[in-house]
Amino acid sequence: MKKFLLSIASLSVVFILISSALAAKVGEPAPDFTATDSNGTRHHLADYKGKYVVLEWHNQGCPYTRKHYDSGNMQRLQKEWTSKGVVWFTVISSAPGTQGYVTGQQENEYVNKMKAVPSAVLLDPEGTLGHLYAAKTTPHMYIIDPSGKLIYNGAIDDHPTADPSDIPTSRNYVSTALQQAMNGKPVSDSATRPYGCTVKYKD
Amino acid sequence: MDILETLMRLPRSLSLLFLGCASLFAQPVPAKHARVELIAENTGVTPGHKLLLGVHFQLEKDWHMYWINPGDSGQPPVIRWQLPSGFSVEEVQWPRPEKLKSSQSADYVFKDDLLLMIPMTVPSSLNSNSPAVDLNADVNWLICREICLADRARLHLALPVSSTPSPDKRHAQLFGHARQLLPQAWPARWKATATSNKDDFVLSITAGKPLREAEFFPLEFSQIDNGAPQPWRVTAQGARITLKKSEQLVKPVSTLRGLLVTRDGRAYELAAPVVQ
Repeated sequence: MKKFLLSIASLSVVFILISSALAAKVGEPAPDFTATDSNGTRHHLADYKGKYVVLEWHNQGCPYTRKHYDSGNMQRLQKEWTSKGVVWFTVISSAPGTQGYVTGQQENEYVNKMKAVPSAVLLDPEGTLGHLYAAKTTPHMYIIDPSGKLIYNGAIDDHPTADPSDIPTSRNYVSTALQQAMNGKPVSDSATRPYGCTVKYKD
Repeated sequence: MDILETLMRLPRSLSLLFLGCASLFAQPVPAKHARVELIAENTGVTPGHKLLLGVHFQLEKDWHMYWINPGDSGQPPVIRWQLPSGFSVEEVQWPRPEKLKSSQSADYVFKDDLLLMIPMTVPSSLNSNSPAVDLNADVNWLICREICLADRARLHLALPVSSTPSPDKRHAQLFGHARQLLPQAWPARWKATATSNKDDFVLSITAGKPLREAEFFPLEFSQIDNGAPQPWRVTAQGARITLKKSEQLVKPVSTLRGLLVTRDGRAYELAAPVVQ
């Protein structure tokens, strides 16, 4: 019986994946997912209804990701927004053998060393979550509002470089979108071109 | 991996930096998985004559750099010039890139050898007895294989002033080849228009004859889905091509700009007005 229920559960995950038709379009419901974090905990997006959820595609070796981590910019954003009740998922879709692939333990060590404070780091070595959201680059940012609707898809900011010195003069699209949405305003830049390294998906 | 690589290469790039500063002549600068050099089509600058400059990258096998629209990832090289007063440069003449597809995205890239050509205006007031003219360029670029590395170089070229332009034979072949890779103007008798549907654009090309399969490379970001197939339908007068819209596209597009690249590598500059 238990086995039977389990297979129904896994079937429903498959069903959710198929029914969302592989799209993450701003203004539409964000594709639902279940994923495992670096500590082995499962997270189901639907369980976070009522909260804002940020997805941050990550690859610790990518110069664009390092722009935002070595400078402390990403950690500042994580700290600021999680303290305001936002759920922040860092997502790693690097396949085993590719740049940026890490085990849960390696990722925990990195998070510790970098003083990063995401709510959790979701490990996606099969690329399921990455393909579901069509994540293209590291970083690539998404915001889901409390009703489960996707309200932002794109770059972290308006300076598509690997140079940390332009962060202070950059307009951060994620902060801007969260601020606007929390103030009940429409998001002015809801879809931008993400910039960074290619996500290193399994072939 | 790339921290290690940066550290390993640091002494080399530092020594080259000094070398670059000290040298009066252009030297190819070794960089991460590439060599880069500032060259000119002529042996000197001639007052009142345009001179074609080139930033020449020689890439190690399997590494690539990016077009002005890099596609779904990456970044095009950026050149910042320091030129003597009265000198000015025009826009970079970008050769036709190739499309590099991965699982569901695509980039527009250059492999092996890339010459970015830049026309420079030489003031007619320049005295022909002037000493050599110093041209300096700070170049930033991204080079990728499975991994990406950001790199930069300060390039230098000193050119004598000469009263008549004379081609530099060492670079003639390189410039000649680069010219062949430049996109051609859209044929005057051809017409291109596009219609905008919910999820795609349909680009119609009228050429007076059936057109064989080609691909559209967008000049602007976030208009079409770079990784999506581009179904091509041959018509009696040309072709129709369906371009899936980008998920990042939120504003209406008035003109689709880009290159139409044929299977044999010819590229045409295309600007198709979009009917909503």
